[in-house]
Amino acid sequence: MALRSAAAAREPSLPRVLGPIRPRARWQELRLLGLVALTLAVGSVSLGAARTGGFAPYDPRGLAIYLGALLVAHVAQVLAGRRTDQVLLPAVSLLGGLSLLLMERLPQDLVVQRFFGSSFGLADVQLIWLLGAVGVATTLGIVVRSDSWLRRYKYTWAAAGVGLLLLTFVLGTEINGQRLTLQIGPLSGQPSELLKVILVVFLAGYLSENRALLVEQDTRVGPLRLPPLPYLAPMVAMWAIALGIVVVQRDLGAALLFFGVFLALLYAATGRISLVVIGLALFLVGSAAMANLFEHVRTRIDVWIDPFADPLGTGYQVIQALHAFARGGLLGQGLGGGLPLIAGRPPIPEIHTDFPLAALGEELGIVGVIAILGIYLAIVERGLRIGVSAADDFRALLAIGLALVIGIQAFIIAAGNLKVLPLTGVTLPFISYGGSSLLANGLVVGLLLALSDKGVEPPPPPGAVPRWRRLGRRGTA
Amino acid sequence: MPATGGSGKPLAGPTIHVALILSAAFALLAGAAGYWGVVRSPELVRSPDDAAVIAAARTVPRGQILDRTGAVLARNKADANGELYRVYAGPAISQVVGYASRQYGEAGLERAYDAELSGLAGDPLADAFAKFGADRYDPKDLTLSLSLDLQTAAVRALGDHRGAVVMLDPRSGEVLALASTPTYDASTIANPASAQAAFAALQDDPAQPLLPRATLGRYVPGSVFKIVTAIAGLGSGAITPQTTYKEQPGAEKAGLLVEGYRVRDGHHPQTGSTALDLVGATEVSCNIWYALTGLRTGGANLVAYAERMGFGSALPFDLPTAVSQVTGGKGAQPGGFLDDVELANASYGQAEAFVTPLQMALVAATVANDGELMRPRLVTSMAGHGGVRTIGPESMGRVIPASDAQAINAAMVRAVEGPLGRLFTTGAKVSGVTTAGKSGTAELGGSGEPHSWFIGFAPAENPTIAIAVVVEQAGRGGEVAAPIAGRLMARYLKGAQ
Repeated sequence: MALRSAAAAREPSLPRVLGPIRPRARWQELRLLGLVALTLAVGSVSLGAARTGGFAPYDPRGLAIYLGALLVAHVAQVLAGRRTDQVLLPAVSLLGGLSLLLMERLPQDLVVQRFFGSSFGLADVQLIWLLGAVGVATTLGIVVRSDSWLRRYKYTWAAAGVGLLLLTFVLGTEINGQRLTLQIGPLSGQPSELLKVILVVFLAGYLSENRALLVEQDTRVGPLRLPPLPYLAPMVAMWAIALGIVVVQRDLGAALLFFGVFLALLYAATGRISLVVIGLALFLVGSAAMANLFEHVRTRIDVWIDPFADPLGTGYQVIQALHAFARGGLLGQGLGGGLPLIAGRPPIPEIHTDFPLAALGEELGIVGVIAILGIYLAIVERGLRIGVSAADDFRALLAIGLALVIGIQAFIIAAGNLKVLPLTGVTLPFISYGGSSLLANGLVVGLLLALSDKGVEPPPPPGAVPRWRRLGRRGTA
Repeated sequence: MPATGGSGKPLAGPTIHVALILSAAFALLAGAAGYWGVVRSPELVRSPDDAAVIAAARTVPRGQILDRTGAVLARNKADANGELYRVYAGPAISQVVGYASRQYGEAGLERAYDAELSGLAGDPLADAFAKFGADRYDPKDLTLSLSLDLQTAAVRALGDHRGAVVMLDPRSGEVLALASTPTYDASTIANPASAQAAFAALQDDPAQPLLPRATLGRYVPGSVFKIVTAIAGLGSGAITPQTTYKEQPGAEKAGLLVEGYRVRDGHHPQTGSTALDLVGATEVSCNIWYALTGLRTGGANLVAYAERMGFGSALPFDLPTAVSQVTGGKGAQPGGFLDDVELANASYGQAEAFVTPLQMALVAATVANDGELMRPRLVTSMAGHGGVRTIGPESMGRVIPASDAQAINAAMVRAVEGPLGRLFTTGAKVSGVTTAGKSGTAELGGSGEPHSWFIGFAPAENPTIAIAVVVEQAGRGGEVAAPIAGRLMARYLKGAQ
């Protein structure tokens, strides 16, 4: 940081590579991707054995395309020569690969989309979106070198986000009683997935600008020491937006996610417990009011408290998910071995969007569930690390927020599957079926990759002998 | 390399807190996965609502169900499409074995043991590797303690009456007969061709043939409940077998005044003005002696001893059972009685006392087995690929000391064999065998005929069979239920199983 000039500190931008771009080997990433490829190949053979009885991968073409795309992403990053994180892409691609295997073994007619006259089933469509997500992540990780387009226009982004939200409120298509999908011509998507990224961008901008005020100035309200009250306005606004989402879109999951990320980021920026306490109090008041006012909220809560009260009605989906974990036990039924079909349908409704963790819990067991949860924690850990070692507050908060979006979203839906929280329909990042979700999460990973650029390597200490691995890199600036 | 930014305060500290909280939240998820995947797993994977149970029912042949002699009670038959359905040994066993139907789900043992019969693995640790084997399903054949012969005889003995018979071995808790009438033919529900018409007709039948009265029917017990009162009185030490009440002889004619309510009796002029003890009062079924005993024992003891025999909760049995009660439990008096009037009336089986026939058979079995109650059971072994698993006898605990049980045993022998008792229990005596028992005539209020009850056991010296018979609205206990019980016990003791 000593290299940076005063002007750069005021208006920081991601470090630029000095001189011509030179390829830089990413051995850690390559090794991890090798492990991912091995894991997925074994999974695919296991699935093939369960399905056909033979010893062959279940869908070699789909797996080859996916692994090929990962290789291309790796090589592209090597050629770009940036010193970005090498764990994120393998971690995310393992989850994506599990998603691909899961979608291959579910009935393909759960989703049928027509492109250019030919129709694609569940796994095909998911593969396309997975490739899109890898593409988005890699492209952003290579191309984005300045963050000023995010930093400068944070209010514009916020306005765009609110606009998107209002558009969904007004024009959204109602599916299963929830107004989540925005359809414009042939394109449809769930704006709340994009909205979560915009939210983090705005919050990172707002908090980094006002952090000093929020941390250092006090207003006393009774026993509480609070930041200056005007600066709490965003909290109230966030709360109102979250409630609006619950009321108009009936989307409890997105509301929970937005508010959770907001509180966590607020705490990370200020370190003030009092803000979290107020936030949680607001959350409880809001939840109680919602539960009293709205049938759909109350139903969710009743089902959460005792799904077995109405096992064939409102509690059916949640109970069947719990049964899936029970059937899985410690080691699982094996890929392709679980999820018995009843009249040709999987046992859990909406299994590919809302319950992929229950499906994987049945087939990979508790061991598999814990491994998947571990991968999410690893992704969050990388993101937080990128944030803490970032050059300034905006980039730090942006990275922390993006990591928390992944972590909290995974927690909310996993907790819904396991009856730890009421079920809310957010997607399980990188695993659930769905284009909006995969592309938005690809965007998150891409931004994290870009933010992780360590810039120019400092010169080695005098006398240090470069290891052979360093031969491919530039030795000195 | 912590970020310092504008405020100068590092972000790293709070960020680590956030990371720790998120890690704890994920650890909670891992714990929840363990809870559902291991702790609750055995129960959930056996549930008839489990998707794998439902799916297997359509493809895997169910295990057979056999009676104690090996006679086949339930087997499989293939329909025209090669899909399997169940065929049963006859209407007599339908209330016990139940049915397994593609359209209407399962009932009876077919429901309770669905996971075992359909062959789904259950124990998460033992089966962790078994499920990777080629033979994923391991349907178990169930062997029951039930005797098809005795069960059929019991249903035939009840005839056109509505009622129930429970017979069990008091030494082991093995249930030999669990008959309920009217019954139905479960094969017609299991057969996909006839299921719809048969099920609709049975559901509309006002006689409720689908109700297994022996386990789910709740009846006013009347005088058979006096055995419960005797057990509580002796067990709590409130009375001895020699206890007499000086107000009892005088109250025979005018009734016993309890808080302004008259407990009436008066159908045993033969004893005249004698003050009765346990044996005498049981022989002539004296309501006043038992009301006084109940009052002396107290509501708390009466309920506590009844609960030792299974009252107050579902019985630990292979089939679901209704809850038997001594009182509605809403009152403020000890045990939940409203007042002494309710307690006095409950002591001879009226007021708010309601019992299942199975529960009353357990009361008889407690006395027969010298005060120790054995858990009632139907399934005695399960045979699968992994061999045979036997389910042995299991004690539910000692209810009263053996000496107290023997005193009640002697009183119940007098109730069947004594010169006066015989008049109340005509036909209950098994010829050549000392027989013990108690009849009951359960008043329902209004103008309806009372339920006819009998509980008993034989041979009294070393009982091998205990029985409870209830016949709905058939009149006095001695006239209808007692002869049925006598015939069925005689059939069993002759070895005709």
